Amino acid sequence: MSALDLIREELTQILADKGAETGEIAADTPLLNGPLDIDSLDLATLVVVLEEKTGLTPFADGFVLFHTAGELAALFGG
Amino acid sequence: MRLDPHFQLIEGETATSGADIVPRSASLIDIRQSPVRDLIAGLAAEGDLYVLRDASAPPPLVDTDAGRVWLQTSGTTGIPKWVGHDRETLSARIAPGTLGDTARWLLTFNPGSFAGVQVILSAMAGPHVLIVPALDASVADMADLAVRTNVTHISGTPTFWRAFVMALGSRPVSLKSLTLGGEASDQTLLDILRMRFPDAALRHIYATTEAGTVFSVRDGKAGFPRDWLSGDLTLTDRGTLAVRGRDTGDVIEVTDGRVLFKGRIDAMVNIGGVKVYPEMVEAHLLTLPIVQEARVSARPNPVTGHVLVADIVLKPDSDLAEAQIKAHLQTLPRAQRPVSLRFVTHIDVGATGKKSRVS
Repeated sequence: MSALDLIREELTQILADKGAETGEIAADTPLLNGPLDIDSLDLATLVVVLEEKTGLTPFADGFVLFHTAGELAALFGG
Repeated sequence: MRLDPHFQLIEGETATSGADIVPRSASLIDIRQSPVRDLIAGLAAEGDLYVLRDASAPPPLVDTDAGRVWLQTSGTTGIPKWVGHDRETLSARIAPGTLGDTARWLLTFNPGSFAGVQVILSAMAGPHVLIVPALDASVADMADLAVRTNVTHISGTPTFWRAFVMALGSRPVSLKSLTLGGEASDQTLLDILRMRFPDAALRHIYATTEAGTVFSVRDGKAGFPRDWLSGDLTLTDRGTLAVRGRDTGDVIEVTDGRVLFKGRIDAMVNIGGVKVYPEMVEAHLLTLPIVQEARVSARPNPVTGHVLVADIVLKPDSDLAEAQIKAHLQTLPRAQRPVSLRFVTHIDVGATGKKSRVS
């Protein structure tokens, strides 16, 4: 599964868990300022799941700026 | 204190001039129901003022009439603590602005928090413009509001700032002043903010519940200059920072010319500006009959600084009840909920007999 698919799956789960609307998530979907009802803690959760499932730690040396699902996916190997 | 007519409050769709806000002594303001306008009227008056944001701790309502502003701390132990502040102390570090040089402040903190009141008082003293988002506004909502209302001054936690630059994208905002506080600021974030807002004055502040704001650092580098470590600020024998002889519990590392923050000596974890004790979350998990053992630890996270993760040993013959445990965790404030649950057969106990919390 690609990192983007993983992001889609986990975000849909996070949204469903909090009873928020789910929808199409594309590479250019903004994470925090788009159609998704998620906040910093949701995003933090998403990053933990990505770290656990890919074994990658792209933020080990500090924060890297990302805006969209695709940009986050790229940090986890695309 | 009379409100300056040049002060302006923008709350929702309503703009109010300082001339139209009448100082009014109010013993209690419930920030969840009252507009910030009422809080400002109360701050501008003189009597004791209790600002409620969490009803689980009712105000002590000691009728001292010492003219204190009573605020709730953000509930490190689960139950918020009430702390009374003299109005003078609250405004001690706030300098009035110059007329004609109006700042447009965005309130990113809860209006009833210490940091929130600091921003409100700064805007009142300016006299500046205060822009107040809805109480349930997300950081993305705040980014939209900042663009729409030409905000120039923002103070927020590092977690707020990471989300803010993410949500803002490439939209232009002419920030003149940018303040970080409530958590240690890391160098990568400071560098990102410096690049994104090259014209803004960038500072990060260090504050404690007891002493309020202790210092602010303006050179864009994490930590603070080594030569500040004298007088009020000292290094304790256990490697923490003390302010006026009082140990803060914040571990510091003294390097060439710089003092850097290295987390806490106790188990406290800062999650997006909220102080959390993993032991309390463990205790909460252990109240579930199916949980035999639990270890909750902090893991570094690029978005919120840290998050909690949990290892759980279930009692023999318990069915794996992830849903039940998740539902049980829902009763905790969000920052305290472990974001990842791992079911294990045993938990390592270190040589000291304590569960290791290093994740």
